[in-house]
Amino acid sequence: MQRRNFVKLGGAAAALQCLPSIGFSQQGDVFRIGSLTPITGAGSPYGPGMQQAIRLAVDEVNAAGGAGGRKLELFTEDDQTKPDAAVLAAKKLIEVNKVQAVLGTWASGVTLAVMPLTDAAGLIQMNVSGAPAISTLDTKDLVWRFQATNDRFGAAFAEICTKRGFKRPATMAFNNASGLGNVEGFTKAWEKRGGKVAAHVTYEPSRPSYRSELQKILAAKPDVIVMGSYLPDTTIILREWFQAGADNKWVIPGWAANPDLVKALGAEVCEGIISVETVSNEKSTSYAQFDAAFTKATGKPVSTNIYAAMAYDMVISLALAMEAAGPKATVEQINAKLREVSNAPGTAVYSFADGKAQLGKKAKVNYEGASSKLDFDKFGDATPDFGVFVIEKGQLVRRDVVSITM
Amino acid sequence: MTWIDFVNLLINGLIEGLVVALPALAMTLVMGVNRFPNAATGDMLTTGAYAAVAVQLLGGWPLWAAALISMVVTALVSAGSYTLIFRKLAGRPMVSSMLAAIGLGFLLRSLIGFFAGHDQRTFDLPLVRAWNFGGIRILPTDLAIAAVAAVSLAVVFVLIYRTSFGRQLRAVADSADLARASGIRANGLMLSLWLLVGALSSLGGVLLGMKAVVSPEMGWESLIPAFAAMVLGGIGSPVGAVLGALLLCVAQELAVPLMGPSYKLVLSFVVLALVLLVRPAGIMGRVQLVR
Repeated sequence: MQRRNFVKLGGAAAALQCLPSIGFSQQGDVFRIGSLTPITGAGSPYGPGMQQAIRLAVDEVNAAGGAGGRKLELFTEDDQTKPDAAVLAAKKLIEVNKVQAVLGTWASGVTLAVMPLTDAAGLIQMNVSGAPAISTLDTKDLVWRFQATNDRFGAAFAEICTKRGFKRPATMAFNNASGLGNVEGFTKAWEKRGGKVAAHVTYEPSRPSYRSELQKILAAKPDVIVMGSYLPDTTIILREWFQAGADNKWVIPGWAANPDLVKALGAEVCEGIISVETVSNEKSTSYAQFDAAFTKATGKPVSTNIYAAMAYDMVISLALAMEAAGPKATVEQINAKLREVSNAPGTAVYSFADGKAQLGKKAKVNYEGASSKLDFDKFGDATPDFGVFVIEKGQLVRRDVVSITM
Repeated sequence: MTWIDFVNLLINGLIEGLVVALPALAMTLVMGVNRFPNAATGDMLTTGAYAAVAVQLLGGWPLWAAALISMVVTALVSAGSYTLIFRKLAGRPMVSSMLAAIGLGFLLRSLIGFFAGHDQRTFDLPLVRAWNFGGIRILPTDLAIAAVAAVSLAVVFVLIYRTSFGRQLRAVADSADLARASGIRANGLMLSLWLLVGALSSLGGVLLGMKAVVSPEMGWESLIPAFAAMVLGGIGSPVGAVLGALLLCVAQELAVPLMGPSYKLVLSFVVLALVLLVRPAGIMGRVQLVR
């Protein structure tokens, strides 16, 4: 009797186990992607375009027959550029929609808040944030960054200062991870080249005036001031600098030295400011194809939103990794393939369909993205090229593109 | 660090102090008469600055005209907030008025953010190079800011210490019951006070916006310095608020060579702590007001 009971129980248990496994096999046909971009808040100029780019890429992958035998399914949420709102949205994506990857976080604070959740759930996280800390806090290697780190912005500043022949740079930084990351990256790279930084000032946010900070930095007589700053503080600092009548040059990140700055201060004050922003992989076929699709969908060229190309690449590289990992691969197995399909060596491919065909022939592929060559380092960080823009008569004119190698 | 740098820092400190003095004075007037810290003062500043931006955008008027209109608008908002909220809470514990003020601040900030957006704005104001007196640099804009602040402070002091309005206010501040018993009609007096406080805050917002940028958070962020200045000067004392603001701002600017710009705020609070240790009522305060 005991044995018979055991068989019965065993049978029942086996039958029970079958039920969820039927469920799993149905779920196995789709791979669920959560888009978490800033539709509102400070990131709102970029988030909607990023979401659109993710949607376009998902459609492209599905039109090519899906990846690794699975179709992609997309769920979208707004992170409001706020860490608390982003955490709620990420929880909803993870717990209700059961997504397997969260794509598109923009602000560093948002990415840092969402990362512990996706890490704990063992999901892939892809972002365009700058804070260097994201690299080191990502202990499971599940986090992928498509934008240059603040550190690399700093290194690009050093390359630009060398190219333009500056001799006595000084730095000013907003007292947070991003601002300090920029100027510390610069100082590191500049000193490696044998240069010296004349002076450094870290300033506090939301001050009514930055005259004493300027006085301190100008006392060192720099020929260029390298900034790690945001738009409001940059506006105040440059206004007071112009009024004080100094004549040094400026190297400022693109999110602070942009058309809004020119609008606030006028062309005369901004003349000659060097603004540095990452640029897309503009000469690649992938960029041309995506640009056409994006322009058709939104009516705006993709050059108006550099993050859209990054968001597009997130889906394509993820889908290629799924294809390489094969059917029924777990998130972990897919994650392990991301570097393999994006980095050299391998046949260069410029679209998902190309890559799928090559992978079908058992070839190794190297996806060259729309946003950058998309080579991930050991932290999972990509390094796009940097555009050097000079403000001339109130317009940002691109004068150069620099690549850095880390 | 030469004496020229020192003088420049001193000038910075004085001008910042004059800008902080306006909200500090607005706060201390309410504190002295209505007996609660008006945490909405900062957002009244923001309201004033945005009203001036709006007038400039819509009418293309010069800044002084925009500032005058924004003073009227903000004075009405301020008096309205008194009639609708703070008058109803008079007689309740100080905390309920203070919480209501915090709520009002949130409301104003959200409304501004909703209608005007969160992008920074600036006044349409020509940029002029600084005058250079052998290294001592004076910005004409700063001079204008200092002059406007000084004149408006003077006007407020004349109102408070030389008119019957001021005498009645001070009577109510000393003892509301005694004032009522002697026939002072509180309602009209309070409305005038809140109109004055609103106009003062508006002017503070415009001056701050001229120096910095106009954003929905600008006033809220300047609330703590104004509050510190009020406490340092002695709660409820108009002269004290102005002195406190000047002292704090000058101290923090002069601290730059010693501690660097990132920590200058700390020093202003050291000054605050030291003064309060020596004189718990503040520089000009009287003990009975600090119960």
